Amino acid sequence: MFDTMDLLPGEECVSTRSDNRKLIEEGWFRDFGDGLALAGGQCLACGGIFFPEKPVCPNCFDPARKKVPLSRKGKLHTFALSHMGPGGIPTPFVIGFVELPEGIKLFSLITQCEPWDKVLKVGMDVEMVIETIRRDEEGNEIVGYKFRPVPEGNP
Amino acid sequence: MREVAIVGVGGMRFGKYADRSIRALGEEACINAIRDAGMKPRDIQLAYAGNLAQWEWGQGLLIGHSVLRELGLTKIPISRVENGCATGSCAFREAWYKVATGACDTALAFGVEQMTVTGSEKILNVFTGRQHAERDGDMGNSAPGLFALMARRHMAEFGTTREQIAMVAVKNRRYGALNPEAQLTDPVTLEEVLNARMICDPLTLPQCCPRGDGAAAVVLSAAGIARRFNSAPVSVAASVQVSGSYSDAGSYTFFDTDVRAAEAAYRMAGLGPGDIDLAEVHDCFSVAELVHYEDLGFCRKGEGGRFVEEGQSGIGGKTPVNTSGGLLSKGHVIGATGISQIVELVRQLRGQAGKRQVEGARVALQHNGGGFIHTDTASCFIHILKN
Ligand SMILES: [Zn+2]
Repeated sequence: MFDTMDLLPGEECVSTRSDNRKLIEEGWFRDFGDGLALAGGQCLACGGIFFPEKPVCPNCFDPARKKVPLSRKGKLHTFALSHMGPGGIPTPFVIGFVELPEGIKLFSLITQCEPWDKVLKVGMDVEMVIETIRRDEEGNEIVGYKFRPVPEGNP
Repeated sequence: MREVAIVGVGGMRFGKYADRSIRALGEEACINAIRDAGMKPRDIQLAYAGNLAQWEWGQGLLIGHSVLRELGLTKIPISRVENGCATGSCAFREAWYKVATGACDTALAFGVEQMTVTGSEKILNVFTGRQHAERDGDMGNSAPGLFALMARRHMAEFGTTREQIAMVAVKNRRYGALNPEAQLTDPVTLEEVLNARMICDPLTLPQCCPRGDGAAAVVLSAAGIARRFNSAPVSVAASVQVSGSYSDAGSYTFFDTDVRAAEAAYRMAGLGPGDIDLAEVHDCFSVAELVHYEDLGFCRKGEGGRFVEEGQSGIGGKTPVNTSGGLLSKGHVIGATGISQIVELVRQLRGQAGKRQVEGARVALQHNGGGFIHTDTASCFIHILKN
């Protein structure tokens, strides 16, 4: 849906496709110059930022927009340990909503947080990492974003 | 719009009926409701059937027509509606709307589903798909996940405890044991709920509603002719439907749909939360009921935990909630759930609820949330009933 027609001059879609690793959704990510970031769509008329990008601005119905990088750091709004879920993700796993400074809440797997019930706190700082989300039926690694607590000494 | 009354209700025990056809389930509830209304099928001028997605789990389209044909209810306009977990409420509201606007004088609304012939993953896929824009489900989210996330935020923000959340399940299973139409009829203790299998921390198995098979039906008529059919008609004082705003603003401890729908419903009925004698609310998960107390104004924001702990949502409390046992006891029979809530409230308002009767009940509220997209329910229906 958002292919080359959405690209500004000089930009190209990021592809990390290989034989057995693929991005969960290519349009969600872009390298803005310092590695893969989540790519939101910013309305050129009202400045609103949406992720995933919408076909028109939900505020003002304006189709003109540009891709902007979303912050890699956010706050852990809430979390839970799931003992069930879709196939392909080994259980149990930690899920959460992360609030980005852009005002966007993202559902995300939370990683590198063991023991989860000691490490995780509502409101703590978390940062995005690109990791394998799950394996699909053909055994491909589906790669996407997750969040982890910001490591010590790296505020 | 003119006043509309409920003149007949029909339920059946929810459970596992893999050996019965979906048509047979629908027939049972519809026959019960039409009999209860003192009508013959020829008295009914229009019908809505609520059914989520039966073709996904094995049976076909035209559920309404197939069920009603068996009763000799033919020729009239019959439509199926879908609105996620609020599918039954949507059927009821559409029937109400047609009578209220004078398009017809009588109508039947029923809901039916056979959920136990499929699996959880299939149901999750029907709801979220693998093509969904946000793909939350694809990345590990699920219905228990969404509500566990809400529970944790509520605990962190308001000091709500695991015990308080679990008390919703204890209360509802206590009332389920008094309801001959509930699927689960054994009460559970707080210790049993807390120590049960963890589904999505902090929610254990008894805090997640089971699936089920069954049907429920109601018959409506213009209020002016209701006493022709039934000596104790129940009036529909408000009917409200809203959809989600999916806003990322604010804390994930409330349903924006609930708050907007409740405001509109109280305005339409000319009543407030203090006037509600009892309610059936969408307790798909224990914590959902606790949040609905707050969203519907039964208590202040953040005090849902204390509300259930003090027994304010039990019979004898300020606002008894889910005297039917709720979804946690009856099971979620998606197409039928909303209608089944209305059936319970009509019985209560008629004084026919047996051991779970709320004495002197005059005004009742029904709340049904439908589906979930990102951080909000996709739809929400509220009905206020009066006798
Ligand atoms: Zn805009």
